[in-house]
Amino acid sequence: MFKNYFKTALRNLNRHKGYTLINVLGLAVGMASCLLIFMVVRYENSYDKFQPNFNNIYHVITQDKSEDGESYTPGVPYPALEALRQDLPQVKTGALFCNFGCQMAVLDPSGKAIQSKKFVEEQGTFFMDPEFFEVFTYTWLSGSPKVLAKPNAIVLTRSTANRYFGDWKQAIGRSVKMDNDMVYTVEGILEDVPANSDYQITAVASFATLKNNQLYGYTTDWGSTTSNFQVYMLLPSAVKAEAIDQQLKALAKKYYKNEDANKRVNFLRPLSENHFDEQVGNLGNHSTSRSSLTTLSLIAFLIILMACINFVNLSTAQAVGRSKEVGVRKVLGSNRLQLFWQMLGETKVLVVISSILAIFLAWLATPYIKHVISLQEDLHLFTVQTLVFFLLTMITVTLLAGIYPAMILSGFKPVLALKNRINSSTIGGLSLRRVLVVLQFSISQLLIIGTIVAIAQMDFVRHADLGFNKDATLVLDMNNDSITRKKLAAFKQDLLSDAEVKQVSFCNDPPSSNSNWGTNFAYNNQPDENFTLYMKYADESYFETFGLKFLAGQGYAKSDTCTGYVINDCLRKKLHIKSPEDAIGKNFRTGGNPWKKIIGVVKDFNTNSLRETIRPTGIVSLKKVYYRAAIKLSSSNIIRSQEVIQQKWNRYFPEYVYNATFLDKTIEEFYQQESQMALLYKIFAGLAIFISCLGLYGLISFMAVQKTKEVGIRKVLGAKVSSIVFLFSKEFTLLILIAFVIAAPLAWYFMNSWLENFAFRIHIGFGVFAIAILSSIIIAWLSVGYKAIRAAFANPVKSLRTE
Amino acid sequence: MIELKNIFKWVNQGGNRIFLLKDIDLTINEGEFVSIMGPSGSGKSTLLNLIGMLDGFDEGEYNFMGQSVKNLKEKQRSEIYKQNVGFVFQAYHLIDELTVYENIETPLLYKDFKSSERKAMVSDILDRFNFVGKKDLFPNQLSGGQQQLVGIARALISRPKLILADEPTGNLNSKQGEEIMELFTKLNADEGVTIVQVTHSEKNAAYGSRVIHLLDGRMENK
Repeated sequence: MFKNYFKTALRNLNRHKGYTLINVLGLAVGMASCLLIFMVVRYENSYDKFQPNFNNIYHVITQDKSEDGESYTPGVPYPALEALRQDLPQVKTGALFCNFGCQMAVLDPSGKAIQSKKFVEEQGTFFMDPEFFEVFTYTWLSGSPKVLAKPNAIVLTRSTANRYFGDWKQAIGRSVKMDNDMVYTVEGILEDVPANSDYQITAVASFATLKNNQLYGYTTDWGSTTSNFQVYMLLPSAVKAEAIDQQLKALAKKYYKNEDANKRVNFLRPLSENHFDEQVGNLGNHSTSRSSLTTLSLIAFLIILMACINFVNLSTAQAVGRSKEVGVRKVLGSNRLQLFWQMLGETKVLVVISSILAIFLAWLATPYIKHVISLQEDLHLFTVQTLVFFLLTMITVTLLAGIYPAMILSGFKPVLALKNRINSSTIGGLSLRRVLVVLQFSISQLLIIGTIVAIAQMDFVRHADLGFNKDATLVLDMNNDSITRKKLAAFKQDLLSDAEVKQVSFCNDPPSSNSNWGTNFAYNNQPDENFTLYMKYADESYFETFGLKFLAGQGYAKSDTCTGYVINDCLRKKLHIKSPEDAIGKNFRTGGNPWKKIIGVVKDFNTNSLRETIRPTGIVSLKKVYYRAAIKLSSSNIIRSQEVIQQKWNRYFPEYVYNATFLDKTIEEFYQQESQMALLYKIFAGLAIFISCLGLYGLISFMAVQKTKEVGIRKVLGAKVSSIVFLFSKEFTLLILIAFVIAAPLAWYFMNSWLENFAFRIHIGFGVFAIAILSSIIIAWLSVGYKAIRAAFANPVKSLRTE
Repeated sequence: MIELKNIFKWVNQGGNRIFLLKDIDLTINEGEFVSIMGPSGSGKSTLLNLIGMLDGFDEGEYNFMGQSVKNLKEKQRSEIYKQNVGFVFQAYHLIDELTVYENIETPLLYKDFKSSERKAMVSDILDRFNFVGKKDLFPNQLSGGQQQLVGIARALISRPKLILADEPTGNLNSKQGEEIMELFTKLNADEGVTIVQVTHSEKNAAYGSRVIHLLDGRMENK
């Protein structure tokens, strides 16, 4: 029985090669997309799950409530660690301090720095105490957490140790010098951290060292918080996070001083939220919003749905051709159920063939995924989970695509079937097919509109006027110690001596940056204002380097400390100063610093990414916090200029790593996630359109066969080719228009809420919708056209004779 | 074997009731070879389908082998049908995707014969019809007469007591037609298979032991 079905199935597929090809291609592309998206979603969900205590680890977050709303910091004040350990003895509390940009110099056995072995760990250098390893679990190849109890001890991961010392087995007992300051002895080796972790630990120094060293700003003051100092808790399974949250509230009142006590609280965030929390962020190299993963999953579902719709459409259309077989089989004694299973079995055969192709396609595409969404490691296609998922997909697709046609086919009345009295109208599936085509077109138009909007917004972001000039600006990471500071002036002179270098400015941050320094401030001899002022610390060349425009006043003269303030127009408005000129000469101060004058007002520039609004900002000179050098180049020979700059750097600062990035690159990275999503939308919208075209082509070829007689009669009656082509196109055009009416408001709603992530955004205009509908119609006509024209040109004598 | 009493069958078309069969009284005994004749649209095929339980009726009484068909459940009806009836069509109605061998085997699949039994039965009938050499051909590789022979072989494979043939020679030339008719006669005489055939041709009708004439859904008394 099974063999008989199987043979019929294969021979049927073989006989209708065209339909088979369309179905197989559609299903394969759909299933491959589904599989790839599953792999991505699964990978993003796997972050840090390898931690044995994953479900019981919590991160202590600091929340500030102010007039501007709530803000969150992943860090806590330094003294909180001891206080939490004391007041919450029932939980294990571990701490980490992550320092970005640490200079690591490898020392030879005699204690001399090896010139070629200078490193900056991109993912940060960590300081931890042994308790951290009771919360998080890592494999120790050598040593144990205990070694981190003593000062000046450092633990490296296997590959870091290999990089530093050639072979990790020889690393124990060797030394590294950090930030040209303290020497650390390697006391332990950790196994490399898996790539799907937001804690990319490479080097861990003992927390005790940090406590003894002013360099990293350790303080017992409860008033200051850095996002780099983070506390994690391992809750025993009997203890509820809510209970700890309650206790943390009480502790906030107990420890925070003055007004902090009223506005600041701590709470626990589960480790499972870590990778997805865009508000607080994480230490990893990328976070992914749950909403974008949901969108992706939805797209996967829509694509597979479209492929199934194709299948249902084509099989019900083909059902007419199969009616005779069904009739014969019924006359030969088959019952409805047996036929149902036979037809479903045929779907299964097709799905299996498609699956093989799908796996092949996915296998081809797998190596590219990691570039599209910038993962650190390759994804693996052949894992138990993906295979189980794929099996489930196969079953779902078989049922989704197979049940309806099988029901229709097995329900044929044998007498009618044998008399050839079954046609598309007796099947009654015509209206259903129309509904399905509309659904399919709605999905593809939804994706088209979504893609156009995403691309337009990303384009807008890339070319938006940020209020300053970001072009050809090289930003060098600098150290800021007393020796460096002494060399700054000479270094700048030397750089400027090159004709290619137009301007050089030392500063803490370029105008737009991901991190900002905030402070309290006062204006015009009043008490402190109740909102935060964002600060840029920069030397006198800052304004020229970045092309900031003065609305009133001017910049300050060269100085190591604050001589006067330059404010942005946003701050001016927020302080209700009538005109920029009115601000000049008014008293101003930040923190508890002495009053100085406002000497300039600059036009607003984007202080953050375009997701955020422009913040009230002040600019002053303060030499001791210059961590960057911004070098404006003439754009003629950028590569040579870079080489020259690096040579000069090595001459002035041989002990430090040269680390330079172009500002426009950095700014583009603000939107990495959005760009990746836009790219993914593009790819999958393309696939969706491809699948719907396949379906349309299949359907129209079927329609051409069905209408052979009608076309023949019409031609005999004198119809022109054009009117016949119109006969075919008008229905689809109408269906597309209906689909558009459904898709357009949905797409507008979804994309509008996506755009709300941006403070600076495009507005979805009529043009987007026009493009979507036009492209849909053109695509449909292209796929319909060939068949329609062929049908129209067919000789009517031939087509009528067969009737 | 077949007992039809006052059978009516109609369809409603635009408010009018059109009768397909009117007041049919017919008894066919086991071992008979009956020919049904009549012009196009007289209800011959409808009657045949009704006898074969492929189609229902609106009024009257139908007993098949002593059982009232009307009162049977779908499942029981199909069971009786499977055990007793073989159909032969004018247009052969072989499954195009299956070979001669597989076409003949198909009814057995629905009757749950074991694979070895099926093999024996099919080889047997292939022998009888001299089709051994053609068993792997597909229907479109055979002539019309050959296809009809396959159709008859397929109808016979499950050893039915009743063969219903709907213009079995309608698509064949006269020589092929004769062969088929002789085969029917032989089956009827040697194996006692009851045969009911619908035909247009007086000559073919003459092969039967009894001829029934239909006109406009009514049996004509002769």
